[in-house]
Amino acid sequence: MQGLLLATALATLGWPAHAFAVPAVTTPTVLSGTEVDLEIGRVTVNYSGKASVATAVNGSVPGPLIRLREGDAVTIRVKNNLDEMTSIHWHGLILPTDMDGVPGISFGGIAPGETFTYRFVVKQSGTFWYHAHTLAEQTGLYGPMIIEPKSEPPLAADRDYTIMLSDWTDEAPLQVYLNLKKMSGYYNFAQPTVGDFASDAGKLGLSGALSKRAMWNKARMNPTDLSDVSAATYTYLLNGAPSARRWTGIARKGERVRLRFIGAGTATYFDVRVPGLMLTVVAADGQPVEPVDVDEFRIGPGETYDVIATIADDRAYAIFAQSMDRTGFVHGVLAPRDDMSADIPPVDPGSWLDPIDMMGGMAGMAGMGPAGQDHGMVETAPKARHARTEYGANTDMRVDFPRTNLDDPGVGLRRNGRRTLTYADLRTAGPAADPREPQREIELHLTGNMERFVWAFDGVKLNDSKPLHFTPNERLRIILVNDTMMTHPMHLHGMWSDLESPDGRFQVRKHTISVQPAQRVAFRVTADAMGRWAFHCHLLYHMAAGMFREVVVA
Amino acid sequence: MTTSRATWLLALTGLAMTTVAGPALSQQVKPAVNAEAAGSNDQAMSPDMPMGDQQKDGSSAPPMNMPGMDMSGGKPGADARDPDAYSDGYRNSTLPGYEMADKISVAKVLVDELEFLTNKQGQGISWSGRITNGPDNDKLLLRSQGLKQSGERLDPESSVEAFWWHGQRPFWGTILGVRQDIGPGAHRWIAGGIEGLAPYWFDVQLTGYVGDDGRLAARLKASYDVLLTNRLILVPQLESNAYSKAAPERGLGGGLSNLELGLRMRYEIRRKVAPYVGFVWERSFGETADFRRLAGENPTERRFVAGLRIWW
Repeated sequence: MQGLLLATALATLGWPAHAFAVPAVTTPTVLSGTEVDLEIGRVTVNYSGKASVATAVNGSVPGPLIRLREGDAVTIRVKNNLDEMTSIHWHGLILPTDMDGVPGISFGGIAPGETFTYRFVVKQSGTFWYHAHTLAEQTGLYGPMIIEPKSEPPLAADRDYTIMLSDWTDEAPLQVYLNLKKMSGYYNFAQPTVGDFASDAGKLGLSGALSKRAMWNKARMNPTDLSDVSAATYTYLLNGAPSARRWTGIARKGERVRLRFIGAGTATYFDVRVPGLMLTVVAADGQPVEPVDVDEFRIGPGETYDVIATIADDRAYAIFAQSMDRTGFVHGVLAPRDDMSADIPPVDPGSWLDPIDMMGGMAGMAGMGPAGQDHGMVETAPKARHARTEYGANTDMRVDFPRTNLDDPGVGLRRNGRRTLTYADLRTAGPAADPREPQREIELHLTGNMERFVWAFDGVKLNDSKPLHFTPNERLRIILVNDTMMTHPMHLHGMWSDLESPDGRFQVRKHTISVQPAQRVAFRVTADAMGRWAFHCHLLYHMAAGMFREVVVA
Repeated sequence: MTTSRATWLLALTGLAMTTVAGPALSQQVKPAVNAEAAGSNDQAMSPDMPMGDQQKDGSSAPPMNMPGMDMSGGKPGADARDPDAYSDGYRNSTLPGYEMADKISVAKVLVDELEFLTNKQGQGISWSGRITNGPDNDKLLLRSQGLKQSGERLDPESSVEAFWWHGQRPFWGTILGVRQDIGPGAHRWIAGGIEGLAPYWFDVQLTGYVGDDGRLAARLKASYDVLLTNRLILVPQLESNAYSKAAPERGLGGGLSNLELGLRMRYEIRRKVAPYVGFVWERSFGETADFRRLAGENPTERRFVAGLRIWW
């Protein structure tokens, strides 16, 4: 499928100028019922101050909000008006494999001029989204999807807004990919400098400053490599609006507002808060969780979080989403009128990875954990079993003793004084849908070679790999060990990922699970979806570079 | 004299080869945490301590095998997983569209140095660049470098090289190919060596050559990027060449021929476009120095340079 991504991207290098003129920012229209018609085409947009061309669904970026009802049999016709193959994948939906929209696995993609008809029965409810399963995702081909529950009463809320966070670049996605291949730090302008060293030497003494760097420099790892692509090229968008054109949702004092956050960044984790309001997280990846109150949460590409905020005052509140690498932010506004601006907090200073992000559990044992960390001790897993293919050229780091604790909000959010959501806070309301204990384990390591921008499972890229075979209806445990220094949002198609607590109990049902650097996570899967599926990192350029496996349930 | 030169040369080439082939690399990486950073002196190992054996049995106790010590490369232990163990004989889909962004050939042209120089004798130009094309771990690599000063012959190190570059290890690649000298007395050479990133981010190139008449040569280049800011970058650089026997027509003596130390400061207007200024000190040794004196040139040169670094 990646080749098609390329074809897509290549075409984007030479945009035709005939794109239809549609306003860049529109409140997405809502399409509901059991029959939905979508058209994929080009629109002219201007997010950066420069006109550019995006790929839109029904003329808008993001595409229309699709509202479905649990239990309905739906028909979604997607017409491709582009001059290249495209696709739509329904992210997190449980459906037949040939309706999943992954070119090369589910089907051959939607050819130019062709209409593909998706037909499936909606088996779930909650907040989801859809996007291209090609590099065109970077060019705007994504939109929100809300599924109403069949029986349960809807959650009491006075207002209900979808907040879709994404990243935009005027560069063609293939160009971004090639830039990263040729120079992996291409977009990182926060690399440690002589000035930083001098300032550390002032604070820590010369030997302190040297030892702070020794570990990273010896290993040739960059402690500021949090995000491959930064605001150096990205403009961050909230519901298709950059900060300058702030998206506004009406919200009055005393109202309970449901905000459905969707992480639609292609290479961006967002750290989200609404200064002045407590956020009660009520659903993760569309699934209800036991409510938890937080000031802030991190949302990765692919994830969704529903939160409830009770508006304290008749004033404007900023919905503030800063990129994990702290190079930029986007904000929207909740206010009683649509002409009010909100106070925007400053972007947090950028931070280095901590030693636990390279050393995992061993850093904790050696007393290298972040001092004064208010989020739990580092727990260490048994020695990880590396694949023999992790000793080759594609793997620049292996973690022998990964950390297993889930109560770490992640780099940049540690000890910031705010109550930040961690995976340890997320608990599915009620028991596991499948109460069986896993019958077997599959251990996979997330690997990379940062210098060469090669990403893989077990050091083996997609096109060198063999698929993972699941036996129908087996309950299995997938163990992921992150042998890299980046956070990877891992998304298994077709089946739920039931995240386990560090002590091996079912904790929360998700479809996209972020694995932090040098961390081990385990999740349970019930192989109840026959056919072929994708399992990959939802950072688009990692997926393209090979961090992708095919799964066969047969 | 000749014997000691040859020994020196062999030692250098030998170093190149062991570095490529052996566990030397993983040893370098292993002590990724020094004692201070780990805060536990008694557990830290001497950085020079050989690790190969401990690694093989895969059972060395954690306290001895400090965190992240063998972080890359090395040999898998007997208990290493089979990456295909979960496939049960299945193969990936063959539907149309299932193609190969992870196998993409990436073509990169880097004009690392394209500069005007000035010294006591006059002016000149100098270049150093490389072109690579291929997928992640196997590339065609073309390298060229050269120097021409007014009133002097083309610098004897001026050459064009073509290699197969293989990403042998996470931070190191092997190169195998040919070199063609440019200018009078040019030789053709079979060439092999390594290129890579040493711990602490040193860029290193080490190449050994066998000439068309059996003569040997070696070239070492190393550089380091000092980030004054994320755009203003100071690059100390070193180059040294050695030959097994003299080539009077190129003004080259046997043995260690020259040492060049450069300091260039570039400003990345964009990542791909960076003008720079710099200073280069070069010293010729032994017979090469004699040849230079005979030609009325100074064995020691100081050059101011200004140029442009671009890539795409």
